[in-house]
Amino acid sequence: MSNSNRYILEAINLHKSFKAGEVREHVLRGLDLRVERGEFLAVMGPSGCGKSTLLHLLGLMDKPDSGSIIIDGQDTTYMDEQTQAAIRRRKIGFVFQRFNLLNVLSGYDNIALSLKIRGLDTDGIDRLLASMGVAEVARKSPEKMSMGQQQRLTVARAIAHKPDILLADEPTGSLDSANTQTVLEMFKRANEQDGLTVVMITHSPTVASAASRVVYMKDGKIIDGNT
Amino acid sequence: MLPLPLANILHHRLRSLLSALGVAIAVCMLITLSGLARGTLEEIAKRWQGVNADIIVYPAHWSDNITTIGGGGVGRGDLKMLKSLKVGGKPVIDYLVPICILQGKVAKVNCNIVGIKPEDFHLLIEKPGKKLTGRIFDPHNKFAKWLEAKLTTPSEETLSISRAELARRGGLEMVIDTRLARSTGLKIGDKVYVAGHRFKIVGEIPAGVLARAFIPLATAQWLMDLSTGRYTLIFAKLHNTSTMGDVIRKINTTSRLKATSLGQYRNMLEARFGIMYLYIDTVNTITLIVAMLFVLVTLYTIVIQHRREIAILKSMGATRRFILREILTEAMILTGMGTVMGILLAPVAGAIIEAFLPLLTVEISPRWVLISILAAAGGGILAAVYPAWCAMRMNPAEILTLE
Repeated sequence: MSNSNRYILEAINLHKSFKAGEVREHVLRGLDLRVERGEFLAVMGPSGCGKSTLLHLLGLMDKPDSGSIIIDGQDTTYMDEQTQAAIRRRKIGFVFQRFNLLNVLSGYDNIALSLKIRGLDTDGIDRLLASMGVAEVARKSPEKMSMGQQQRLTVARAIAHKPDILLADEPTGSLDSANTQTVLEMFKRANEQDGLTVVMITHSPTVASAASRVVYMKDGKIIDGNT
Repeated sequence: MLPLPLANILHHRLRSLLSALGVAIAVCMLITLSGLARGTLEEIAKRWQGVNADIIVYPAHWSDNITTIGGGGVGRGDLKMLKSLKVGGKPVIDYLVPICILQGKVAKVNCNIVGIKPEDFHLLIEKPGKKLTGRIFDPHNKFAKWLEAKLTTPSEETLSISRAELARRGGLEMVIDTRLARSTGLKIGDKVYVAGHRFKIVGEIPAGVLARAFIPLATAQWLMDLSTGRYTLIFAKLHNTSTMGDVIRKINTTSRLKATSLGQYRNMLEARFGIMYLYIDTVNTITLIVAMLFVLVTLYTIVIQHRREIAILKSMGATRRFILREILTEAMILTGMGTVMGILLAPVAGAIIEAFLPLLTVEISPRWVLISILAAAGGGILAAVYPAWCAMRMNPAEILTLE
């Protein structure tokens, strides 16, 4: 199998720095990471090691200072913003720790908007919501839902358009253990049944244990587990 | 699904209402100020056009603009000449009304006070819907006859007419219009000092014809130090208005007088106050700019508040066009709501201004309503495009991390 078929996501020698006042802080320092198609990967590491920055770069939400990100065989380095947005629309779904749902819309409409942006029809939303166990609260604003319901809705929004890659940034960070388990089961199901590639950032070894592979980051690099 | 711009407006009802109100105030301000500036001059023009006459005759030596005319430049001889005026061998004048115009203050309000004979008042001023309440001053011309006799009989008494006698004989009586009455609080039976004399208000006429205050012609002449046969100008009613052009031409070419149609008075006002119109338009332009800035700041604030939402949309792969359309749609809905509210508020604001300052007139002009709509729409688009452009350039990762 060629590399482009085997790896759906590749980060090659990524560097990223941010200006904090007068100081430039190097967050990623030549990071390399390869994620196989259909893999469930957990990225662990201490706070400030660059996990969320890595996830934003992998999701084309930000640009690296140098290095390349290859998604499904396509080098995104020199892509313009609109082409990158098109890749986000088609191939990527995001799950954030703080949900990032639009409170002005109902749960249902949050998913409908996501599909509308992607030019897809909204026929399967009710079925999806039912499978996520949030059908009964779907007409409410997310701010009237419990944390667990909001995160399940976020997962539903992230996978509604059937992406190839799910990027999750501390998806269980705000949840109790029961809801954490539910969300992890959703990820596993999407990964195993639908072949969705999952990259999940987490602090928790218990959460990370749900993944098929765990990599560790420190000082802007992968230090262990990058095979 | 509920469109996102509408969902935003409905979710943030108070904020949306306040934003629309901001636009509404700007639109209302623009319409009202332009209406106020032009309305007051327009009201004067309409009052002059509201008399029951067709032409104004005044001394030829007066400038071409009679909007500030005063004194007693026409006389009895001119009246006789006009009465006998013929065009094509036929008499053309139905009636003539000589008046004197006196500048004065009625209860601290500056206004033109028109001296007119009581019988001419009914002829020139009164019309259906504009009927006098109370009574006319010096109703049987007793004062006028007494004064004329007094002035034409040289004696020591001529120089010593007492105020008490003037008042007793009906010379110090006044009719005011309803606006002046509202503005000053004067009513029939009240006494008011004008030109050092204590006048009694004997009647009230609905506002809108010629002047705000009327006194006997003889009193005006006496106050202006004119002989009883001198007048400021003459209004003429023609038998047939189709002869107006010929009549004016004849007066202008064959006499020491000049004539003009009532319609010309508006042009004269515009010519006289041209510089004021420039000032008005400058003020209106500044108001327009302030209104647009107001709209810009209001909408910019809204877009800034949408940063997180825009970042979420970008994380889902929303195109720039999609984001721009969402922001513009919301801005246009709010601007539209504000514009409608502003247009509806403007007549209310005008009515309030006229209620508290009855001598001012706010005339809502369709032209300025249209300008306000265009200004609000333009301001709304400009105001939304810039922050939308900023929003599209935002780094979603940064916003979702920090906010």
